[in-house]
Amino acid sequence: MNSVPSIVVTGLGMVTPIGTGREEFWNALIAGKCGFGPVQSFNTSGYSVHLGAEILDFEPKDHVVRLRTRVIGRSSQLAIAAARLALTDASLDLETIDRRRAGVCVGTTSGEPHFIERFDDRYVQGDIANAGDGLIRGYPCHVVPSHVAAELEFAGETMMIPTACAAGNYAIAHASDVLRAGRADIMLAGGADCFSRITYTGFARLGAIAPELCQPFDRNRKGMVPGEGAGFLLLERKDQAIARGARIYCEVAGYGLSCDAHHMTAAHPQGEGASRAMVMALKQSGVAAEDVDYISAHGTGTPTNDRLETIAMKKTFGELAYRIPVSSVKSMLGHTMGAASAIEAAVCALAITHQQIPPTMNLHEQDPECDLDFVPNQARKRKVKVAMNNAYAFGGNNSSLLFRASAA
Amino acid sequence: MKRVAITGAGVITSFGDSPAALHSALSDGEKAAYRLEDCEAGVSACRQGGHIGSFQPETYLKGKPLRALDRTGRIVASAAKLALENSGWTAEILCKHDVGLVLGTMFGSVHTISEFDRRGLTHGASYVSPMDFANTVLNAAAGQTAIWHNLRGINSTIACGATSGLMALGYAADLIRHGSQTALLAGGADEFCFEAFCGFDQAGLLCRCNGHSEFPVPFSAQRSGFALGEGAVLLMLEEWSAAVDRGAPILGEIRGHGSSYDPAANGECGPETIAQAMNSALYDSGIRAAEVSCISASANGSVFADRNEALAIRAAFNGSGDAVPVTAIKSMVGEALGASGALQTVALLQSLQTGVLPGIRGLEQPGPEIPALNLCRRKQDINAGFGLINSVGFDGNACSLMISGVGLEFSRGNEISVKAAL
Repeated sequence: MNSVPSIVVTGLGMVTPIGTGREEFWNALIAGKCGFGPVQSFNTSGYSVHLGAEILDFEPKDHVVRLRTRVIGRSSQLAIAAARLALTDASLDLETIDRRRAGVCVGTTSGEPHFIERFDDRYVQGDIANAGDGLIRGYPCHVVPSHVAAELEFAGETMMIPTACAAGNYAIAHASDVLRAGRADIMLAGGADCFSRITYTGFARLGAIAPELCQPFDRNRKGMVPGEGAGFLLLERKDQAIARGARIYCEVAGYGLSCDAHHMTAAHPQGEGASRAMVMALKQSGVAAEDVDYISAHGTGTPTNDRLETIAMKKTFGELAYRIPVSSVKSMLGHTMGAASAIEAAVCALAITHQQIPPTMNLHEQDPECDLDFVPNQARKRKVKVAMNNAYAFGGNNSSLLFRASAA
Repeated sequence: MKRVAITGAGVITSFGDSPAALHSALSDGEKAAYRLEDCEAGVSACRQGGHIGSFQPETYLKGKPLRALDRTGRIVASAAKLALENSGWTAEILCKHDVGLVLGTMFGSVHTISEFDRRGLTHGASYVSPMDFANTVLNAAAGQTAIWHNLRGINSTIACGATSGLMALGYAADLIRHGSQTALLAGGADEFCFEAFCGFDQAGLLCRCNGHSEFPVPFSAQRSGFALGEGAVLLMLEEWSAAVDRGAPILGEIRGHGSSYDPAANGECGPETIAQAMNSALYDSGIRAAEVSCISASANGSVFADRNEALAIRAAFNGSGDAVPVTAIKSMVGEALGASGALQTVALLQSLQTGVLPGIRGLEQPGPEIPALNLCRRKQDINAGFGLINSVGFDGNACSLMISGVGLEFSRGNEISVKAAL
């Protein structure tokens, strides 16, 4: 196993409803800032809910340099912004790298939904002749990593892993494999999703959207808040990072992925698949359960998710579960869909760096069925050497990533 | 690093539902029997491509209601059933082992997504169906198939446009090579639908029929675009020694793969990028170009992509490019997007096993800008060896996969079992 290189995180970039860029984002997170408001990007008068977590001050032209902002979709714009922020954060001089060995791997729920929404608008207005215009260039979800690669002139592997709300974790897991296998020297791995009418409509119909607040693990929680955002991690081999004098946030210690094979939209009632993913991540990382210092929960704030996620953590960690701080940053960011687990992976890296855990906000009356330490309402200083990032998705897709402080 | 055995395959194609039937139809130079609905024919001048008219999900998916699965879900779950059967994974064994699923797809079901959205627009947001919403996620077919067949291992969906299927096979092979999973189904699928057809038509990528009814011919001087088809193809991949231990039939091996991206952002994948993917696959496999006995090209009748791929083959094979036989089965199956790479892989595996490589249907005179290559006009006998599969996307992605057929290394002595050969 000694021949397998360690993979480290050396750059973080995020565009979120509570802040853009590592510092602004982390400060907002520690301060418990919430990013919710009435949906602006489309008319929700026909809906019973109106809350969303949109990024209201995003200016694509501030970030997109090489591509034309008018021809690429909003998910691509958000992704490019986050990718560039991660590169800058990593102090990586693009002139010094072999672009053929630089790749991009992205996770998403919807890709570029605005293009199919435009198709549908035209279709219902009877303009079928022009409905498909621009669809192929703009819509298929793989255009997001392609656009990031084109913007940065990366010529290595570009891949989209659209495993819905766990997609960011899948992308980071794969990117770390690509680096371990020696297929690339640099990987930008992350997730991106723009605010989507289709997603909002679906979650509204499921009754899963909170009317006023996202309150994970609270007994009065009423649902999630759909959001948008992008997050990228710059990953590279540890020896390369040390050689170029890069700041190392942490190592990607390992991952666990599994499938419930139980239900499309509901998690397994005993947390079976989620627990298998956590166990696999521990095993692959060679980390003992008692060494986990922090868990970044999926924690959407829906009644079912938070209850079953608690069961899965207890199933995995037993009595230890009560001693591990767990928090859900979705209480502040909302659910940024495919970007969520990538942003939460960055949260894990920052928790290790700052030795501080962001809070679960809006947690006033803890659900007796969710009886773990959810770090309510106040950030906490604490030793964090190992952090676990959990994310779950439609389709029964479960994912756990483990990050570990990097020994000098 | 562990070796990756191919122990079975399941196909839902325009040429039926078995790898042998597919290979036989391709070798006979048949044209896919696709069907276009009237409403679809109405949006384009293109009259080629369409649905697999013969597909009946009830043939494969019994005992549970099909209602929850859309067309993509149905073709994938059907291909999975066939692949599991073909490789000897029974429901009883599946209870004890976590088998994974890696599905390549360009669109998931854009038809499901679009219909869901249009219903919200025309009837109101509260009148959409929650069951349809579950299928609007791009990993829906992989999730539905996992539920149907109880596949609890790593479940991933790979979207890289028309290279999705081949990228999924490479991704899955690496999960096995590096020990993350010992058995998984991998391949790709895309359904033919109005939305995609309409989009490709307006992007100018479909073949122009010019008043005649010919299926597009890859590399030909007259090529003007591709015919949009559909399909679902899954291969059973297993860690070699685990496959041997369970006495599985080993049909072939994934030897290596490589992929590359052209950042020029002009909607084209240049020859250097395609050659880079092929060279990476050769390097990853530890195989010299001269050892490759056949190439399954991505070429589908597209004006630029076919030319660029031909130039890339010529470059990557550095002089031997006009010796190794090159076929292009999209001359018969059309462009099945996410399914294409996996479809080519199954067909080439059959070629390596039977020694017969299908020809490029309808190819008489290659275009003048196509460099000298050994383009197969008719089916031909090939030597045992390694087969290279190419996938070239519409917007800069290129991927190559190297396989070998079993039998090749082990069948020389009549009774040598695979286990003994190890």
